[in-house]
Amino acid sequence: MVVQIPEMDFGWIVPEIAMTVFAAVALLLTLFRKKNSTWLFVEAMPLVGAIVALYFTFQTWNGNIDIFNNLYTIDNFGVFFKGLSLVILILVTLLSYRYIDREDMARGEYYSLLMFGTLGMMIMVSSNNFITIFIGLEVMSISIYILAGLMGGNAKSVEASLKYFLLGAFATAFLLYGIALIYGTTGMLDIREIAGYVNSGNFMVTPTFMAGLALLIVGFGFKTASVPFHMWTPDVYEGAPTSITAYMATGVKAAAFAAFLRVLFTAFHPFLSGWTYMLWILAVATMTLGNITALKQDDVKRMLAYSSIAHAGYILIALTVGDRTLSSTVLYYLLVYSFMTIGAFAVVIILGRQGSPNTGIESYAGLAGRHPVIAAVMAVFLFSMAGIPPLAGFMGKFYVLTDAIRGGYYWLAIIGVLNSVVAAYYYLRVVMYMYFKEPEAEIGAPDVSIGSTLAIAISVVVVFYLGIFPRLFLMIAHTSSAIFM
Amino acid sequence: MGAIGFKFVVFIVAALLVIVSSLLMTTRKNPIHSALWMIVTFFAMAVIYLLLNAQFIAVAQIMVYAGAIMMLILFVIMMVSLDNGAQEQKRFPMAMGTRLSWALVVVVLLVELMFAALFYQATAKVGSYPAEAVASLGNAKTMGMLLYGKYIFPFEIASILLLVGIIGAVVLSRKNK
Amino acid sequence: MLPYLTMNPFGFPVLSTTIFMPLFGVLFILFMSNEKAIKVAAMITALLTLAVSAFLFVNFDPTTTIFQFGERISWVSSFNINYMLGIDGISIMLILLTTIISPIAVLSSWKAIQTRVKEFMISILIMETAMIGVFCSLDFILFYFFWEAMLIPMYLLIAIWGGPNKDYASLKFFIYTLFGSVFLLVAIIAIYLVNGTFSIPEAMFKDYTFQFQFWVFLAFGIAFAIKVPMFPFHTWLPAAHTEAPTVGSVFLASILLKMGTYGFMRFCLPIVPQASFYFAPLMIVLSIIGIIYGGFVCLSQTDMKKLVAYSSVAHMGFVILGIFTFSIYGFVGALFQMLNHGITTGGLFLLVGMVYERTHSRQIYDNAGLGKIMPIYMFFFGLFAVSSFAFPGTNSFVGELYVLIGAFAVNKTAGFFAVVGAVVAAAYMLKLLKQVAWGREDKRDIKDMNLREIIYMVPLAIFVLWVGLFPRPFVNVMEYTLVNLATQLDKVSH
Repeated sequence: MVVQIPEMDFGWIVPEIAMTVFAAVALLLTLFRKKNSTWLFVEAMPLVGAIVALYFTFQTWNGNIDIFNNLYTIDNFGVFFKGLSLVILILVTLLSYRYIDREDMARGEYYSLLMFGTLGMMIMVSSNNFITIFIGLEVMSISIYILAGLMGGNAKSVEASLKYFLLGAFATAFLLYGIALIYGTTGMLDIREIAGYVNSGNFMVTPTFMAGLALLIVGFGFKTASVPFHMWTPDVYEGAPTSITAYMATGVKAAAFAAFLRVLFTAFHPFLSGWTYMLWILAVATMTLGNITALKQDDVKRMLAYSSIAHAGYILIALTVGDRTLSSTVLYYLLVYSFMTIGAFAVVIILGRQGSPNTGIESYAGLAGRHPVIAAVMAVFLFSMAGIPPLAGFMGKFYVLTDAIRGGYYWLAIIGVLNSVVAAYYYLRVVMYMYFKEPEAEIGAPDVSIGSTLAIAISVVVVFYLGIFPRLFLMIAHTSSAIFM
Repeated sequence: MGAIGFKFVVFIVAALLVIVSSLLMTTRKNPIHSALWMIVTFFAMAVIYLLLNAQFIAVAQIMVYAGAIMMLILFVIMMVSLDNGAQEQKRFPMAMGTRLSWALVVVVLLVELMFAALFYQATAKVGSYPAEAVASLGNAKTMGMLLYGKYIFPFEIASILLLVGIIGAVVLSRKNK
Repeated sequence: MLPYLTMNPFGFPVLSTTIFMPLFGVLFILFMSNEKAIKVAAMITALLTLAVSAFLFVNFDPTTTIFQFGERISWVSSFNINYMLGIDGISIMLILLTTIISPIAVLSSWKAIQTRVKEFMISILIMETAMIGVFCSLDFILFYFFWEAMLIPMYLLIAIWGGPNKDYASLKFFIYTLFGSVFLLVAIIAIYLVNGTFSIPEAMFKDYTFQFQFWVFLAFGIAFAIKVPMFPFHTWLPAAHTEAPTVGSVFLASILLKMGTYGFMRFCLPIVPQASFYFAPLMIVLSIIGIIYGGFVCLSQTDMKKLVAYSSVAHMGFVILGIFTFSIYGFVGALFQMLNHGITTGGLFLLVGMVYERTHSRQIYDNAGLGKIMPIYMFFFGLFAVSSFAFPGTNSFVGELYVLIGAFAVNKTAGFFAVVGAVVAAAYMLKLLKQVAWGREDKRDIKDMNLREIIYMVPLAIFVLWVGLFPRPFVNVMEYTLVNLATQLDKVSH
């Protein structure tokens, strides 16, 4: 009884292999680097790796194949999120160049962990098997735990890392427990098989099954920073290096939502009535608490952390509706959300300097007078998050609301729109500080580099493009989510 | 009371032991005591693995966790000064009522779960390696075939996970220049 | 082709040109640094837009009820969203109002705005684009785009160039209007899900269930009532007006408030007619409360700008009253009142701004007795003041008369209270006029209006008298559209 692995399978995972190889090479280059020689090669690794991986990822578009005994799946849904993770990797890398130099972090490890984290995301978004999803999630999470603590001299960073690690391990236990209970009741780990079983006649809702489902939701709720599993988010986002915060708020969240969506919409979709009310509560709590708490924040980085919680709430609306034909909304929202969030964090990064992150809202006072362009792009990102047309955030909000109303979730839609009004207040508050307040203290010139300029420019263009011409990417999102139909 | 009844009793004892010893582990103030309770936990878990017909994992559990890893942990604890650990410090400044109610909630949940698991017969699918197959092939061989055959992909990814863990251990513990 | 839209007959997209002309000007202004040049460029842009819209007006065919100068390009096909433009007798008037007010706004801020001239002019021009866009859009999403796009420049106008309390006022304005517009969005999506298209004309006069109409009307109603603003949603208006710079107030009063009443006419009546009938008594009561309440608050004001702001609440009450009589007289009166209010109140805000530039006070007492010192100013002030309380021979008289005829035909009590409101309006305006003209003996050295100020006040004054004495040409343009609306509604009610 010998199990053969067909050789051609490796052709489909070239992006993953490329990520691994480039990450390992970055480590080796750091090891054999001469003192005082250039960091250029190490720094180029994530960019080159991401571009190579992106290229090969696009080659697998419309691949639709199960490989490695069904433990890994190449489908358009996975390709979409792999592409998104890689683009996020590129943007975060661009942001990081000057920043980790400034904050004196371990460069080789930083970049290679960034790549390993992306590898984890790529794996967790493209599998239909709980084992692979879990392992991918762990690769991602452990990379991020370490990245969050890389600012060794900074107590807050260490606190963030430890807190994230402890609570993350806790959440992982929940997730694993959930998977175990589901496995215990069904005997299956493949979510499509579970779907078939749930659909079949001899399925019986047992408390064990429900407990497993609930624990799964808890575990994913933690990774997506949904209320009430969000407690770690503000401290971790605030304490972690800002580039990593941007990475967590976008990449981790997108990957976690992707896996969440895949599991819910594939395995448990026939059993919609069993979980939709849980998500309803989760969505309402997440939006409302995220927004209300964000109102009181005087630290922009922390405010963005809470706002990212609130955005998770909007995405949960689309999950709650549970309409498989509308799952493209989640994809589009995550796409839009990633770009505007990275843009906003990029501005936070360039306003800081070594030793003084300048994330307090008073540091933004009078920014428009001193640096009109920076203030203007920040305003664009904030208005987009507030959902003002013609920026991308509006389109995301619009699709989510359409889903909710189409699904008959009128109260959810109304709570959603009221929340977006509350949200407008705190976004606007930053705009107001930038434009109308006199600067209180001199915070010095912004730390602009080519990398961050490029990242911001890309984000601004995309935010406008996705807002005004949503057609192309909406179609891509639609095609990608066709796997659920 | 046949073999099934005996198994049941063993399971209950082992499971309770796991829960009690892990609770004791987390609540001890002396780290050495914690470590010792952890060994008990590992052993009790190994018993559960044995009940599940997974002898290989049970042995690995005892050799790797209870043996090697616990040694390392004990070494580390003994090398690091113990003064801080022995200090009488209240770790959770919670009122007694709150503590009790939390404890109650946890206990009730666990008991419910246990009963649910015991009394609802799952109509689960039988896997490709039922007890007979395992018995004919041998435990380690089955294990190896699964790991290097069907589950090769997650297995390889797990190796990356280990690599990431090692990088983390090195980079976080390295002294700042 | 589409039954409700005649395509643009000209070789160029004339509506798009009107909409995006100001934005085109912004592109140039972005690269200028000389303040003088920026002002001139903004002025030229505004005038060019006016020229294009005049071209529209001349070529407008008043004898048809379908939308004209249509443009239609697919935008987001999966959601059936189109870039669709077209105008009828209602929108052409409001577009014209916008394009007339805009150059006046630029000219009036020539001296008043000293800081960040570039950003100021850009804001004004972006506003103009958004405002024209709102009146031209025949697609809900496009409409919503422009509707929200107005919010940011207006917010900036108040928040950057506003008075001492600008933080509070601008934020209140923003949050209030955003609150309203998210409900608008919900209603739009609900209509889309029923119709499968975002086309506005296709949504009109369909047999929706009453329950559906009920909720959609409520959602629309909140959005528009805040914008109008109707009592009890009016509290943002005085705050915003008091703190806004003159130009901000002019835009706010002349055009932004019209968005609300335009919304009622364009959306509520044709799309959810039964709910409109159902809610009409409530709307009429609220509008009467607005008229009387606004009037009495005005009586006790000591701040000129606040007085004019509160008089807006009363005037807009007349518009709502006219709309919800569902008669042709009411409609004509409402549309006239919308234009008149734009011209008259806009003019009054400009005049208050002028005197503020000179005396740096808006208190009536500080500005009393200007009659002898500033005779030209007093001429204009008197004209606009009497126009404001609908003195015969001025524009508002025509509008209010139509509204009152409509109101009396529907409900005598409502008509009676509206007349009371009109009398109160005469009282507070005459009181203000008396104070400002002859309030006290004063020999202060205040310069009278200069040529620039006269230039931009004259067109408004001409309009006041023209509509007042000879309203026929305007009635002609709007007649067919409004008669059509009234007959369609009539059909539904039976």
